[in-house]
Amino acid sequence: MEVIAAKVPAVSISMLIPVVASIFVLLLKESYARTVALIGAGLTFIFSLFVLSAFDFSKSEKVQFFESYDILSELGVSFSVGLDGLSLLMYFLTTLISLVAIMWSVRDRQIDSRLKEYYIAFLMTETFLIGVFASWDLVVFYVFYELTLIPMLFAIGVWGYKLRLYSSYKFFIYIFVSSLFLLLGIVSTSVQHFLNNGEFTFSYFSLLNNHYPEGLEIFIFLLFFIAFAVKTPIVPFHTWLPDAHGEAPTAGSVVLAAVLLKMGTYALLRFNIGLFPEAALKLMPLLVALGIISIVYASWMTIAQNNVKRFVAYSSVSHMGFVVTAMFLLNLEGFKASVIEMFAHGMTSAGLFMVAGFVYNRLHTFNMHSLRGSIKFMPVFAVITATIAFAAMGLPGGSSFWGKFLTIFAAREYDYALALLVLAGGFFSAAYVLYFLKTMFLDVKEESILIHFKDIRGFKLTAFVMIVIPILIIGFFPHVFFAFFEESIRFILSNLLQRVM
Amino acid sequence: MSIEALIGTVELPDLSMFLPELSVLITAFLLFSVELFVSDRVKRNLLPSITAIGLIISLIAFIFSGQNYGDTFYGNFTNDGLATLVKAVEVITTLLILAFVQRYYINKASFYGEFYYILAFTLLGAMLLASSYNLIVIYVSLELISIGFYILTALLRGSFISKEGAFKYLMLGGISIALASYGAVFMYTYAGSLDLREILTYKGEDIHYLVLGLILFLIGMAVKIGAVPFHFWLPDAYQGAPTPITALMASVGKLAFFIPLLRVMPLVEERFAIAWTLTVGVIAAFTMLYGNLVALVQRDIKRLLAYSSIANSGYILAAVAVSEEIGVKAVVYFLIVYAFMSAGSFLVVALLERNPEWENRIREFSGLRFNAPYLAFAFMVYMFALLGLPPTVGFVGKALVFMSLSLERLWWLALIMIVSTGISTGYYVRLVVLMYMKEREKEVTVPPSGRFETLSLIILTLATVALGVFPAVVWGLISSSADALFMR
Repeated sequence: MEVIAAKVPAVSISMLIPVVASIFVLLLKESYARTVALIGAGLTFIFSLFVLSAFDFSKSEKVQFFESYDILSELGVSFSVGLDGLSLLMYFLTTLISLVAIMWSVRDRQIDSRLKEYYIAFLMTETFLIGVFASWDLVVFYVFYELTLIPMLFAIGVWGYKLRLYSSYKFFIYIFVSSLFLLLGIVSTSVQHFLNNGEFTFSYFSLLNNHYPEGLEIFIFLLFFIAFAVKTPIVPFHTWLPDAHGEAPTAGSVVLAAVLLKMGTYALLRFNIGLFPEAALKLMPLLVALGIISIVYASWMTIAQNNVKRFVAYSSVSHMGFVVTAMFLLNLEGFKASVIEMFAHGMTSAGLFMVAGFVYNRLHTFNMHSLRGSIKFMPVFAVITATIAFAAMGLPGGSSFWGKFLTIFAAREYDYALALLVLAGGFFSAAYVLYFLKTMFLDVKEESILIHFKDIRGFKLTAFVMIVIPILIIGFFPHVFFAFFEESIRFILSNLLQRVM
Repeated sequence: MSIEALIGTVELPDLSMFLPELSVLITAFLLFSVELFVSDRVKRNLLPSITAIGLIISLIAFIFSGQNYGDTFYGNFTNDGLATLVKAVEVITTLLILAFVQRYYINKASFYGEFYYILAFTLLGAMLLASSYNLIVIYVSLELISIGFYILTALLRGSFISKEGAFKYLMLGGISIALASYGAVFMYTYAGSLDLREILTYKGEDIHYLVLGLILFLIGMAVKIGAVPFHFWLPDAYQGAPTPITALMASVGKLAFFIPLLRVMPLVEERFAIAWTLTVGVIAAFTMLYGNLVALVQRDIKRLLAYSSIANSGYILAAVAVSEEIGVKAVVYFLIVYAFMSAGSFLVVALLERNPEWENRIREFSGLRFNAPYLAFAFMVYMFALLGLPPTVGFVGKALVFMSLSLERLWWLALIMIVSTGISTGYYVRLVVLMYMKEREKEVTVPPSGRFETLSLIILTLATVALGVFPAVVWGLISSSADALFMR
C-alpha cells in the first residue's frame, strides 16, 4: 500500500481545531460556550471541505496526507495518520455530523446545565473520531477507538433522559469489555509479526502481509470481530444500543448512530477483511447469516416500538445488518453497498434522531402517537421527516436505495435464494417506515394540543437541511460518492484475492 | 601475615554505588537523634524538612551511582539499571507522599516524631531489596520494610482498625518470611550458594529441591504482594493504616516486593520454566479474578482500592509468568506506573479525609464534582488509569502484559485477564458515574490543600497521563535495564 506524504498536516490540523475550540470553551465564560463550539465545529467542517478539494481522487487507493511520528520505536508504535478514499468519506461524515449535532444542541432545551462540559465532550468526540478513521497504526486506532467512550459516557450520563445512568453504564461496560478482546487481538498480530520477522510493529501496512499459522488467524479474527460486532452492533450483541440511543440527548444519539456505529463497520472492513482475509473467507457463511439475522430480527423489533427514539435505534441495528451482510459477501458490489450504506445510514439515522428530539422538545414525550395529525400544523417538518424516512426505507432517489440494491445484487452473485432473503429484509424495513409515517403524521386526532406548535425553523431547520442535501445527492448522483472509495475497496478486494489464491 | 597484606586482601566496598542508600541511612539516623532532643513544637516542622532534604540528596546521589554499575560489598549488593530505576521511583514516590503526611497527622491529632525515621528505614529496606541477589540480604531488607510497615500501620491514635490491620499484617507477614526463608534453605541445599544467580544457573541433579525452594520463595513473596490466597491481611491493613501510609504500601511497598521475583525471571531456565509459568500463572489468575470480584461489593473506598490493588498484583503476576524480555519490561513498566496511580488515588482519599464528616463511604463520592472539581477530576484520571483506558499509563501496562501473554501463547490467562478487567469496569466506572452524574447527597466541604500537596497531586496526575502518551520517556531506561538482566 502506497502513501503520499502530507505537504500540509491536514489530518492533524483537523484534529487540533476542535481541541483548541474546547480549550476556549473551558477558559471562556459559560455563555460563550455555544458560540465557540459552533465556530470550532464549523471551522473543522470548512477545513474538511478544503481537504476534500485537495484530495487526489485519481489515486484514492493511496493514503494521502500521510504523517507519521514515532511514539515508541522499539515496539513499532507511531502516530501515523492519513486518508485514503474510504477514510476520507468517514472523515467527511464525522465533520459533517459533528457540526449538525452541535448546531442542533444550540437550540436544544434539554441542554440547560453544564454547557461547558457538554460542548467539550462533543468537540473531543469529533477529534477522537477523526483519529479513529485516519489512523494507520493499530495502537493509535485503538486509543482513539476507546477514547470516544469517555465523552459519550458523559453525554449519556449527564444530559440523558430518565434511565441515563443505567444506560451510560451499560454502554460503557459493553464497549469497553468487548474492546479488550480487540486489544488482545492487536497485540497478537504484532507478536506474530515479531515471530515472523523479528520486530514488533503496529503499522497497518506492515501487518497487511503478515502470515499466521492455521487456526491462529481465525482466533485473532474472532478477537477483532467480537469488539466490532458489539460496536456495530450485530444481533445478538446489540442490546446496549436501544438503551444508549434511547436515553442519550438528541445530539448524542445523532453522533452515536451516525458516526460511532460506523467505527465498527469501518474497522470490520479495514481490519478484519483487510488483515485476515483467509479467516474472513472461511467464516463467510456464518457472518452473512449473522448479518441477515440482524436485518430481520431488528426490523421486527422496530415494528413493535412506540417510542420514537427506540424505533430509530432498532432500525439502526437493521441497517447495520445490511452493511454487515453486504460486506461479508466479499465481492466488489458488496463492498460498495456496505460503504455507501454506512454513509447513507449516517445521514438518515442522524435525521431521524433529530426528528425524535424535535418531538420531545415540543411534547415532552417520545410516544409516536402523541404527534398524530401534525402534518397540518407543521408541514415543513412533516416533509423533511418523510424525505428522510423514505430515504432510510430505500426508496429510489433516497440514500439507502443504493445500499440495498447493491446488496441484493451482490447476494445474487452467489445464490438467488440469498438475494431473496435480503430482499425480504428490505420488505420489513418498508413496513416499519410506513407505519412510522402513518402514525406520526396521518392519523387524525384531537387538534387542540397541536394547534399551538410552531413549525421547525432556524438552527434546527439548517441542521435538517444539511442532512437532507447529502441524502438527495447520494440518491440521484451516487457516483459522486462511489468515486471516493471505489479504488480503496478494490485494493482491499485485490489484496484479499492475492492472499487467498 | 603482616597487617598490610591482610588489608590488601580485603576488597573495600565501592561506596559510590551505595550513595543513595547511604544518604537515606544517614537521614534516618539524623532523624532518630534529632527526634530525641528537640521539643515537640519544633519537631513538627523540622522533621519533615530533614526527611525531604535527605530524600532529595538521595535523588541527586543517583547521578553518581547511576554511572558505574556492578557488584559491591562482596557481591551482596548489585547496582544495575533496574535497581537505579526502581530506587529512583521509590524515592520520588516517597517524596510525593511525604507532602501529605504532616497535615494529615496533625488533622488526626496523632503526630508522632518517630514516624519520620521509621519511614526512612522502611524506604531504605525497599531500596536494598531492589538491588540484591543475595538471599540473606533479601531476607534482611524484607524484614526492614515489613517491620516499618507494621509500626506505621499502627501509628494512628485512637483508631482500633489501625491496630487490627497492623496485627493481621504482622501475623501473615511472619508466615511469609518463614516460608520465604524455608524456600531459601532448599535453594541453598541445592546449590550451596546464597546468590540467586548462582543458584538458578547451577546445573545440579536434584532439580526438585530448586523447584520446591523457588515455589516456597514465590509463595513467601506472594503473601507480601497480596496475591490470592495469601491476601487476607491486605484489605485490613490498607483500610486501617493512615491513608498516606496506605499510599506508601500500595506504591513503594508493592514495587519493592516484586523486585526479587523480577530478578528471578531472566534466570528461569528451560528445565523448570513450566513449573514457574504454571505456578505464577495460576496464582495470577486467581488473584485478578478474586480481587476484582470482591472489590465490586465494597462500601468503603479504601477497601475498594485495596482489593483493586490485589487485582493489579494479579495483572503484574501474569507478566511475571512470562520469563521473556518483553515480560520483564511489562512488569517493570506496570510496577512503576502502578506506583503512581495507586499513590495518587489514595492521596486523593487522604485529602478528602481531612473533612471531619467524611467516612470513606463510596456513596459520599456522589456529586463530588460539584464540591471539589479538581479533586474529582484527578480521581477520575486515576480510576480510568486503573481501569486501563487509553491514553493513560494503565492502558500501556495492560497492553504490554497482553503482549507478553500472547508471545508465550498463554491464551487462557489472557482471557481471564479480559474477564477480570471487565469485572473491574463495574466499580471503577461506578465511582466516575457517582462523582460526575449523580446529585450530591450531602454538602461536603473539602478544606483547601496546601502548596506541596497540590504540587504532588499535579505531578502524579500528569505522570499518570504523560507516561502513557509518551511511554518513550521511561522506555529507554526500562529497556536497557531489562536487556542488562538478560545479558548475564
